[in-house]
Amino acid sequence: MRIHPVEFEVFKNLYLAIAEEMGVTLCRTGFSPNIKERLDYSCAVYDADGETIAQGDHMPVHLGAMPLSVRAAIDSVDMRAGDIVVLNDPFHGGTHLPDITLVSPVFIGAKDRTPTFYVANRAHHSDVGGMSPGSMPVAREIYQEGLIIPPVRLVRGQGHGSREGAIDQAVWSMILANVRTPDERAGDLSAQIAANRVAERRLLDVVRKYGKTRAVGYARGLQDYTERVVRAAIRKIPDGVYEFADALDNDGFRNAPVHIRAALTIRGAHATVDFTGSDPQVEGSVNANFAITLSACLYAFRCLVEEDVLYNAGVARPLTVIAPPGSIVNAERPSAVAGGNVETSQRITDVVLGALGRALPERVPAASQGTMNNITLGGVDPRTGARFAYYETMGGGMGARLGMDGLSGVHTHMSNTRNTPVEAIEHYLPVRITRYGLRRHSGGAGTSRGGDGIVREYEMLTETSVTLLSDRRERPPYGAEGGEPGACGRNTLIRKRDAGDAGREKAGREKEERLPGKVQLTLQAGDRLRIETPGGGGYGRRAR
Amino acid sequence: MRIGVDTGGTFTDFVRVDSRGLATHKVRSTPDDPSRAILEGLSALGLDMSGGSAAATPGRDVVVHGSTVATNAVLERRGARVALVATAGFEDVIHIGRQTRPELYNIFVKPRVPLVDRGLVFGVRERLDANGAVITPLDPAEVDRLALALQSGGADIVAVCLLHSYVNPAHEQLVAARLRTAGLTVCTSAEVLPEYREFERWSTTVVNAYVTPLMDRYLGRLQAALGRAASLAIMQSNGGSISAAAARAQAVRTVLSGPAAGVVGAREVAAAAGFRHVISFDMGGTSTDVSLVDNSIRTTTDARVGDFPVRVPVIDIHTVGAGGGSIAAVDSGGALRVGPRSAGAEPGPACYGSGTDLTVTDANLLLGRLDPAHFFGGRMTLDLGRSEAAAAPVAAQLKLSIAELAEGVVRVANANMERAIRVVSVERGYDPRDFSLLAFGGAGGMHACEIADALEMKTVIVPRQAGVLSALGMLVADVTRDYSASVLRRATELSAKDLDARYQPLLAQASRDLAVEGFSGSRAVRARWIDVRYVGQSYEITLPYAAGYRAAFDRLHGKTYGYANPDRPVEVVNIRVVAHGRAAKPRLPRAKSLRTSTPKPLAIRRARFDGRLWKTATYQWEALAAGAHARGPAVIMGAEATAVVPPGWAFHVDRMGNVICAHTSR
Repeated sequence: MRIHPVEFEVFKNLYLAIAEEMGVTLCRTGFSPNIKERLDYSCAVYDADGETIAQGDHMPVHLGAMPLSVRAAIDSVDMRAGDIVVLNDPFHGGTHLPDITLVSPVFIGAKDRTPTFYVANRAHHSDVGGMSPGSMPVAREIYQEGLIIPPVRLVRGQGHGSREGAIDQAVWSMILANVRTPDERAGDLSAQIAANRVAERRLLDVVRKYGKTRAVGYARGLQDYTERVVRAAIRKIPDGVYEFADALDNDGFRNAPVHIRAALTIRGAHATVDFTGSDPQVEGSVNANFAITLSACLYAFRCLVEEDVLYNAGVARPLTVIAPPGSIVNAERPSAVAGGNVETSQRITDVVLGALGRALPERVPAASQGTMNNITLGGVDPRTGARFAYYETMGGGMGARLGMDGLSGVHTHMSNTRNTPVEAIEHYLPVRITRYGLRRHSGGAGTSRGGDGIVREYEMLTETSVTLLSDRRERPPYGAEGGEPGACGRNTLIRKRDAGDAGREKAGREKEERLPGKVQLTLQAGDRLRIETPGGGGYGRRAR
Repeated sequence: MRIGVDTGGTFTDFVRVDSRGLATHKVRSTPDDPSRAILEGLSALGLDMSGGSAAATPGRDVVVHGSTVATNAVLERRGARVALVATAGFEDVIHIGRQTRPELYNIFVKPRVPLVDRGLVFGVRERLDANGAVITPLDPAEVDRLALALQSGGADIVAVCLLHSYVNPAHEQLVAARLRTAGLTVCTSAEVLPEYREFERWSTTVVNAYVTPLMDRYLGRLQAALGRAASLAIMQSNGGSISAAAARAQAVRTVLSGPAAGVVGAREVAAAAGFRHVISFDMGGTSTDVSLVDNSIRTTTDARVGDFPVRVPVIDIHTVGAGGGSIAAVDSGGALRVGPRSAGAEPGPACYGSGTDLTVTDANLLLGRLDPAHFFGGRMTLDLGRSEAAAAPVAAQLKLSIAELAEGVVRVANANMERAIRVVSVERGYDPRDFSLLAFGGAGGMHACEIADALEMKTVIVPRQAGVLSALGMLVADVTRDYSASVLRRATELSAKDLDARYQPLLAQASRDLAVEGFSGSRAVRARWIDVRYVGQSYEITLPYAAGYRAAFDRLHGKTYGYANPDRPVEVVNIRVVAHGRAAKPRLPRAKSLRTSTPKPLAIRRARFDGRLWKTATYQWEALAAGAHARGPAVIMGAEATAVVPPGWAFHVDRMGNVICAHTSR
């Protein structure tokens, strides 16, 4: 089939619009702040082989993982028209447990034996059970992190010719029985079902209007096009082998850095990223499965392309990613992985971009904050007697670029979620924010400066259990081309003073205690927690 | 008389209504001082501004004006030098925003530069809790010291933004009072938008401070020039007007008024023609505005100006950066792109005579869908040769004929428009097939039928006043003011009496303001609205307030989002009052009779549709009588706009002179 440049652009619009309409449906119908306020979700359309045709500009950390979810669903369940498969198993198509993915096949003809398309969406749920509220614990094995859902049928289609289906009540009630906030989960899962249904209908419209041959042909054309553009970008990189290494501070249990090493080989229009030599998987929850490592690589190469190409399987075709099984970048069951998605994903990105920087220093920035500063609060609200659970992440400094300072106080690389307003937090939680601002001079110096991190201080108004999952507290974000590193992040506990001197609050010195990057502890009313997020690295040596 | 005045980039449009009926007028804009063009047009339309005349009765003659002065001040960063006073410890909120970066994969993403310089941000020690109780009292002496610093900082205006002021504005008021005593101009966040979410409230306040001094000067000059000849009203982004005096105090409410007036005008002409469910489609040179009218106009509080959120109510309009001037080009992967680059008004499409890039308008000309001799009522001649020259290199690159390329450019542009229409309909829970497409702006009528085809919409309306619809909208707009207050309580904790007590001050303020604007009795209408959400959600739905609002909320949630849960507790986030002063609506001129007739074409030309050439009749719009009808393909060229009727469509002219197109097989 000849790809006509005009039809091509029309189909690009069609497929991207479907992915975006899924996202809008999910965002508008979802219940939890994670979906509606923080926009922590991704949606995409796949071909008959499970290869991405179009993915919306949602969460980069989901890029590599989404097609693996579709693959896992295809391999595990004999999907029929109207079926929807649910999964979150990180060792079977998932990333970390809170990310729940729904996959649907799209059959065109009543007699079709195999689907022509698949659609999938993934959303971060605020709680999937496990040892602590919010399901982002400092854990030792995945069984502590929450409910594990292998690919199973959540909605059972009514067979060929029908687009409707019935929720499998056994699976549904099994999921809801294992989470702390079942109503909210039910609402979010309903929203996810609605998003897939929207995409199925739209794909059928496209086929009805343009015919299956053209719809499928142009889907392939879109992948080929993205591949061409990415290959053109790789071709501009000089052939060679470029190595880079960086590390996580620790795994939350052993006080030792966790190393990630990559060798990037460029040969013409092909790139291989080989993580051989990275540390073995660890006891704590910072293990990354292969999906996350792949996401980081895909993200880095997508960033190299200056044009706004459609994100699809074409980005992956020129890339080979080698990650030794059992290592920190390809962890195996039953390792804990909650932090792999949010912390290790950032470090893998730092390493891949670092290697690319050796080849293309003018195109690659210094390291950004390299963490998401995850904080989870839980307890009982004395005003209502009800339990509360709250999760947020925090932006920091972006790495400096050639000729441009890094942005301050933003989410970088694998995340782009929104924060929750101070006035909202204080209204709903027994917590007061006593300070929220940029962390001056935390960005690394250079001919251009790294962006500044953020300072946020929480005062507990009642006994509160706190989980911190953060990194770059000991090893700073690197500078590039002679630029200085950004400042390390810092977590500080300021204890309320004893009852005896409570009357003269400001008079004496308060007791400050440095906390580790990854910790679970209980704070009392009046205790304060100060989180200072890392600055971005500087770029270029500054004349002295 | 009443005159609507719309200042655009190229032309300033006027629509006048008085006992003689409706008249329109156009004057070239004077961007260095927009009031020159305005005064010129007003006197041409017979407004006596000789001044001092005791005969002129203020309130009888009204000029309603909408301009892009405030919008452009933000986009071009020519606004006031604003200082910000914020709760100490939270001075950076305006800088941090919501922590997101504007582009996901762009390593070289540009920073969002706030409208306030860092050197002009000051912290003041004070703190309220979420219930408005004082935790840290405000020290007046500190405010007085701050006043000195502000005076030496050279700020034009001070935005006072304190945490939780939406519950208790006392600290903001105290700061404002002392700063005003010191001679500073001040606006506070609780005055501008008393709603929770500090970043959005403060951003709205800062934008207000940024544009207010400029608008104050501009409107002051205009009022002085008008003297007592007419009272001046200003169009707002919510689709209503307010007195110039009120607009000078809170200019943020005018920032998106231009496109808003277009939607009001679109609704007016659609309703007069008997269409209550329309999607307005305003396709100009560089951008296209789309909005859905389901009997009434939809507003939203989720708007932005440039990079900055502005949470005052504005008409829900989706804008895409593509229009008749969008440039077609081939990207590095070999695909045809249309926009986002635009030839704009200068140099404009190649066929206008100075540009060299191929634009959407050139493509229409190459397809024979424009008659080069009769463009804009013959005021402008188009140069087909220049369009061909612009198309040739692009066609060669894509290995297409010029005709194929031209058709492709139109299709790609239409695909962008189709997506924009889906955003305001499908994504908001509406089916576009239930709506008619009302096309205006210079290019709207040329593309509307093909876009309607793609969306399976049955009817396209191209209004006779297509070229002055915004000015018409200003003319018919009610005086509208919005009031709101945050509540943040579960519905079960709020009795009808509690809510009444909370509405009371808003209603009282609304009555006072309407009286000042000269409205009372049946012409002063106050409507109560309420923002509700399920407990746990972060976004609320705004609906009319009535005793059964809970059930109405469930129904609306179901319609918009596909499901509802009547058992789940709901929370009242904000209450709102909208005050309307009903404007006297002019009756649009209409023919007395409607006689079916077959019009005589101006010419039969050859135009390309669906890959082949068709004999296409060209008509002169102004010569078509009410009741004239014909089958497509046809091109109707008017002084204001052009309507293209493709094969498979037919059109007729209604009693108001509108061209109504219908699909012949639907």
